[in-house]
Amino acid sequence: MWEQVVEEAPRFFGYYNLLFIGEALVNTLLLSWIGATVGFGFGFLFAICRHPRLFGVLPLRIVATLYVELFRRIPFLVKLMCVFFAFQLSGAQASLFTVALVTVVLSAAAFAAEIARAGLESIPAPQWDAAEAMNFGRWRTLWRVVAPQSFRIVLPPLFGYTVGFIKSTSIASQIGVMELTYAAKILNTRGFSALLCFGTILLLYFLICWPTKHFGERLERRLARR
Amino acid sequence: MSYTVIYSQVTGHIPYLLAGAWLTLQLACISFFIGWGIGLVNAAVLAYGPRPARMAVRAYVTFFINTPLLVQIFFIFFVLPDMGILLSPYAAVAIGMSLNAGAYLTEIQRAGFSSLRRAEMDAAAAMGFSLVQTIWYVVLPHIAKALYPPLANQFIIQVMTTSIAAIFAVEELTGRAYNVNALTFRALEVFSITAVIYIVLTIVCSLALALLGRWLFRVNAKVF
Repeated sequence: MWEQVVEEAPRFFGYYNLLFIGEALVNTLLLSWIGATVGFGFGFLFAICRHPRLFGVLPLRIVATLYVELFRRIPFLVKLMCVFFAFQLSGAQASLFTVALVTVVLSAAAFAAEIARAGLESIPAPQWDAAEAMNFGRWRTLWRVVAPQSFRIVLPPLFGYTVGFIKSTSIASQIGVMELTYAAKILNTRGFSALLCFGTILLLYFLICWPTKHFGERLERRLARR
Repeated sequence: MSYTVIYSQVTGHIPYLLAGAWLTLQLACISFFIGWGIGLVNAAVLAYGPRPARMAVRAYVTFFINTPLLVQIFFIFFVLPDMGILLSPYAAVAIGMSLNAGAYLTEIQRAGFSSLRRAEMDAAAAMGFSLVQTIWYVVLPHIAKALYPPLANQFIIQVMTTSIAAIFAVEELTGRAYNVNALTFRALEVFSITAVIYIVLTIVCSLALALLGRWLFRVNAKVF
């Protein structure tokens, strides 16, 4: 088995294969980063819709709460299938990348809403009162009072959350999005040994995820110290 | 192109799907309890083991936490046969999920054990407790309280992750949804029903675990 790997390695790490894997890597990164960022935007909106001091009017609160609580309870694969077939059956022309991106955004929004909520809840009530007494509007309170203080609660978990979506995007290979896992499957079907294909891809995932997570943990410790 | 949503063609298959949910729970339980065992041993090694063993455990945890479960299972399913170990899809998924859960549960339990303070042990010693009494009356209640909520949370995560087994043709809930889809071609209906079953299943599990925690350890585990 090892001789086979050693024999295949030069061919496996040839120029075109590396280009192929590189392209897949870029797709994985784009999918998870764009998805996590846009998802955080929506999650933030959900969080401020749930907060009684901001836009927490009852109907908005119910919708936001239902979304956040229910979407976190559906597995990524099932969500992916729902979005995939919804696009297909509605006749909308969308690339597979878009389908996967929409799924990442849908689930990221639900998880980000919880992170943003923790940030909002870290601000004690007297500060909201003080901002109100100063005649600050909602957005101004958010920007001038809440944001400068809650970023240290919100920022560190965002790294772990992004890593979670880098890992989840591997499931997007199921509908044929050209990302790392799908690349490994294709290289495997081209006849390269499974150890080489999946081993390389595992290592690549590790090399993206580990530094991100590590950085998040260090940031958490640094922000907690102040 | 317009598509009419017709649920009536799928509703007949709901019992079949629910039977798949049973397999989902089974797989979640297996991987959770094996992972729990792995986590316990690892947490003990991290606390008392020699340096090389600690480093090995850390390497295992970091590696499994930072790579996707799907690729881990692909690795187990496609690479081990080359080494002469032939696994059924069910076994491959169960092993992959257990190893993955083991890494997370190591982290959880390490944090739980380190929440035990020196002063509590000293207090127990000052009260003249024997070792068994200390463990039974001081250590266990504390650790149970600290560990129960994250452990319950991990179980719910396990229930949702089992959907990955469908990719390896294991006929759990999602796998059966694929089957029903192939039979009826009512994709949107099938997968939306599956999503609802997952929501109900995890809520029921959360509720049961919260009640169990309250009854056994007086923990206020939250459901939502």
